[in-house]
Amino acid sequence: MSALERRCRWLLRAYPAWYRRHRAGEMLGTLLEASPSGARRPSFRDAWALMIGGVRVRGWTWLISMLWVVIGATGAIYATVALSHPGYNEVTLIPPTIQWPGEPQVIIYAAPIAEIAWLLLPVPLLVAGFVRLRGWRPRNWLRVAGWAGSWMAGLALMNQAADWLAAGQGGSWGVLSVGEMAICAAWLALGGAMTWILSSPQTRADSSVNDSNVVTR
Amino acid sequence: MREPTYFVLASLLDGPLHGYAIIQRAEHLSGGRVRLATGTLYTALDRLTAEGYVELVSEEIVNGRMRRSYGLTPPGAGALRAEAERMAAAASLVTGRGQSPKTVRSAWKVSPA
Repeated sequence: MSALERRCRWLLRAYPAWYRRHRAGEMLGTLLEASPSGARRPSFRDAWALMIGGVRVRGWTWLISMLWVVIGATGAIYATVALSHPGYNEVTLIPPTIQWPGEPQVIIYAAPIAEIAWLLLPVPLLVAGFVRLRGWRPRNWLRVAGWAGSWMAGLALMNQAADWLAAGQGGSWGVLSVGEMAICAAWLALGGAMTWILSSPQTRADSSVNDSNVVTR
Repeated sequence: MREPTYFVLASLLDGPLHGYAIIQRAEHLSGGRVRLATGTLYTALDRLTAEGYVELVSEEIVNGRMRRSYGLTPPGAGALRAEAERMAAAASLVTGRGQSPKTVRSAWKVSPA
């Protein structure tokens, strides 16, 4: 496999698995034909168009799940900084929001809004997921169970972080960053799992040919 | 109808083509102005197929990969012709002054894609 083909295959991962099963072989062939002889990587135009095309095919369920991941990861970083920085010992914890101890004031307002948004996003995400999965079919229950379980695990980790905070107030702040980093990693993993769940509907019935030569997942 | 869509449909006027051939044909027909990226092409093909303007004509395996050819449907040909007439009427405002403003206005209303 050439370097160009390997990179093209990697770029095609921008599309969800069900789309790649239907289209990836055909698109890969077109990409390779359209690339200049001797090229080692696809052009910037092709790479950009593939990324945009992938987002379009994934639709708003993917965007919502990515928004959920970004807010979660940002929140974990925010909490880590707010709770473990030596200058922020006067942090006030207002459950479930960690209050920023100083300026700028906008962060004090933005943090709880972002947290509420993060808590509410799973609802449209769940609805969108079922629209994408085409309803309450028996085979979807496993995916839903995995999705709900991972989300509950995220909440449990948040509670653990609160416990670590309480312990840290006794004098040991070092443990906080470990807890927040675990939450950050969990958020990213859960977001990845949700994205996989929501971008993998049942095999399209209108896909008359399965491009099994390019199964990238 | 956006210019890339117009030239994708126009490239199929002489018969079905596969993806890379559509890219080449569109670039040729547009005098090099429309250079479709692969992702853009397949986004357009998905949309045009869903709208019934383009249809899958044949599938074959080339170099171990699927190659599909797409053809213009009668509604697609009609939409393409309507768009061409709309643009011709608009161009005549500047080049020929051959049509009344009323004719030009009615032509602009036909924009199916």
